[in-house]
Amino acid sequence: MNSSTASATSTAAPLARPATWQPVIELRGIEKVYQTKTIETVALNHVNLIIHKGEFVSVMGPSGCGKSTLLSIMGLLDEPTAGVVEIEGRAMQSYSDRELAALRNHKIGFVFQSYHLINDLSVLDNVELPLLYRPGVNGRQRRELAHTALDKVGLSSRTTHFPSQLSGGQRQRVAIARALAGRPELILADEPTGNLDSVMGEEIMELLLTLNREEGTTIVMVTHDEHMARRTERLIRFFDGSQVS
Amino acid sequence: MLRHLFKLIWNRKRNNLLLVSEIFFSFVVLFGVGTLLLTFAKYYLEPHGFDYEQVWRLEIRAGQNETMPRAQLDDVLRQVKALPGIQQVALTSGNVPFIFNSNTSAFSYQGRKSGQSNIYDADDHYAQVMKLHLREGRWFAKTDDGSHHRPVVISQNLREELFGNGPALGKIFTWIEPGPNPDPADEFQVTGVVDDVRMENDFGPAVPSLWKRLIPFDTTRWETANVVVRVAPGEGGELQEKIARTVAGVTRQWTTMVRVMDEDRLHKRRYTIVPVAGLALISVFLIVNVALGLFGVLWYNISQRRAEIGLRRAMGATGPDIIRQFLGEMLVVTTFGVLLGGLLAVQFPLLNAFELAPKFYLAGIGVAAVAVYCITALCAFYPSRQAAGIHPAVALREE
Ligand SMILES: Nc1ncnc2c1ncn2[C@@H]1O[C@H](COP(=O)(O)OP(=O)(O)OP(=O)(O)O)[C@@H](O)[C@H]1O
Ligand SMILES: [Mg+2]
Repeated sequence: MNSSTASATSTAAPLARPATWQPVIELRGIEKVYQTKTIETVALNHVNLIIHKGEFVSVMGPSGCGKSTLLSIMGLLDEPTAGVVEIEGRAMQSYSDRELAALRNHKIGFVFQSYHLINDLSVLDNVELPLLYRPGVNGRQRRELAHTALDKVGLSSRTTHFPSQLSGGQRQRVAIARALAGRPELILADEPTGNLDSVMGEEIMELLLTLNREEGTTIVMVTHDEHMARRTERLIRFFDGSQVS
Repeated sequence: MLRHLFKLIWNRKRNNLLLVSEIFFSFVVLFGVGTLLLTFAKYYLEPHGFDYEQVWRLEIRAGQNETMPRAQLDDVLRQVKALPGIQQVALTSGNVPFIFNSNTSAFSYQGRKSGQSNIYDADDHYAQVMKLHLREGRWFAKTDDGSHHRPVVISQNLREELFGNGPALGKIFTWIEPGPNPDPADEFQVTGVVDDVRMENDFGPAVPSLWKRLIPFDTTRWETANVVVRVAPGEGGELQEKIARTVAGVTRQWTTMVRVMDEDRLHKRRYTIVPVAGLALISVFLIVNVALGLFGVLWYNISQRRAEIGLRRAMGATGPDIIRQFLGEMLVVTTFGVLLGGLLAVQFPLLNAFELAPKFYLAGIGVAAVAVYCITALCAFYPSRQAAGIHPAVALREE
């Protein structure tokens, strides 16, 4: 137990405090070890972390310190080598495969560091993807939600393009729109502004802040930008797989 | 979901074209072989219309420069018939059942024309030896001796071609092109109608047939007399030798060959079975090859799409969702291949190719479609299951 929750860094805008400090995700004693034939990498080492409902948390740290690994574990994409991940008070291990899929689909919007768009699908179809696996959403609703999300990231004029026809920044925005489309309660964004110019980056940051403020979306964002990180209510720093502040 | 599948398949058309063409190819092969086998199976199960069991055929040859006078031939037939174990003896033409010898022509009656029909010579005892089944009228008899026209018995299918539902007995018809001065012997008068017969091959259809009454007033110029005999059950080599000795006892100049009709049948059958079995074997190899190819292509596709699968899992797809997607894609692609193949296949009945009834082609299409769907489902199932096992974390790594 080397650390509890880090202290929130003060931000410029006053943020709406959630009424209760309800934990969305709780990590306890998380370890992640990548084992390859020749080498064993400790990507996360005894991480304890609680993300509360309605929080906007940024994660910073040098390259290779385990930020993406942390996010993938919070996003239920990967399992820790040791420790407990609790979602809504229940350990991840106790969920069935099906329940985990439903959680990923309904609760979580994930923005991958390297976008991960499906090249064989148009921008619109890529953004619709999470909704495809949500029962009870019909084709028209899917399209509407996807259009709304693309509108928010300023890409409504590119819906029929294919990923290969887009710039890096545009792809990143498609990836963001995809994470937003399903209106998840929790957004996990791995360097969402990493490939955007300062104006576009600013717009995305505003978008995330608005979501957090107005819809109460919980956001965990990995960033290398001190300036952006300081605008969130809480900043967590990592170094070599451990939380340092 | 189906729309999504169609989009995916369309956007991946270059990859899927290969699959569609493999499926098309398998469909066409399966359709061809399936139609062939079904046709053969159908005919094989149909009755022959006569009884080839316990029937032998004798080929009695006069030697070089020898004649075959009527009296001597009658004597031979009488003595053979008298042998214990012989039930009936009949004289016929050289195109006895199941051998490579046929005599065909077409006929016409008041403007109605028949297709190519088998023509046999037969004497008054032939129907008894072959156990033909009379439907109308009677077989030839002594009373026909005075007939002005040539008495004939026809098979039911020839009757339908020439007379339809109208009366046939006593009617007179002739060759399809009778020539300027038809001989009365070329005018055929129907004395009877028998069930359809399949005398050529176990796997062939019933060919319209006609038996002309054989009246050997003078056989002197014959080189060969073809005789069919019905023997008692259980008769074998001993009786065959006795027959040969009996003929030799009448005249030393003649030779006799005795053949069992059922053996002729089995022999003839091989000429169909061997090439068909070869064809079936080759097509099985082809299909197995195609199946392996299909399996490989699917396997490769899925390994190429690991990132996509991981991503879908990360977006909330369950394992079964992934299986459904890949099987669904395969189903759509297979349907394209089958539709293309079907489009080609229906040309056969439409163009009436090989004069085969459309039902055979349709059955062939059905069999091929079912087989192709089974093969692709089988090939797709394992890779799809493998795909479903891909962990969502894969999405983080693969590019
Ligand atoms: N699949 C893997 N197999 C082996 N080692 C891995 C694997 N994924 C990550 N690692 C290692 O784990 C450590 C943490 O990786 P991670 O991707 O979490 O870093 P990061 O903080 O996101 O870095 P960046 O800022 O460059 O994105 C690194 O040392 C990396 O080499
Ligand atoms: Mg990273």
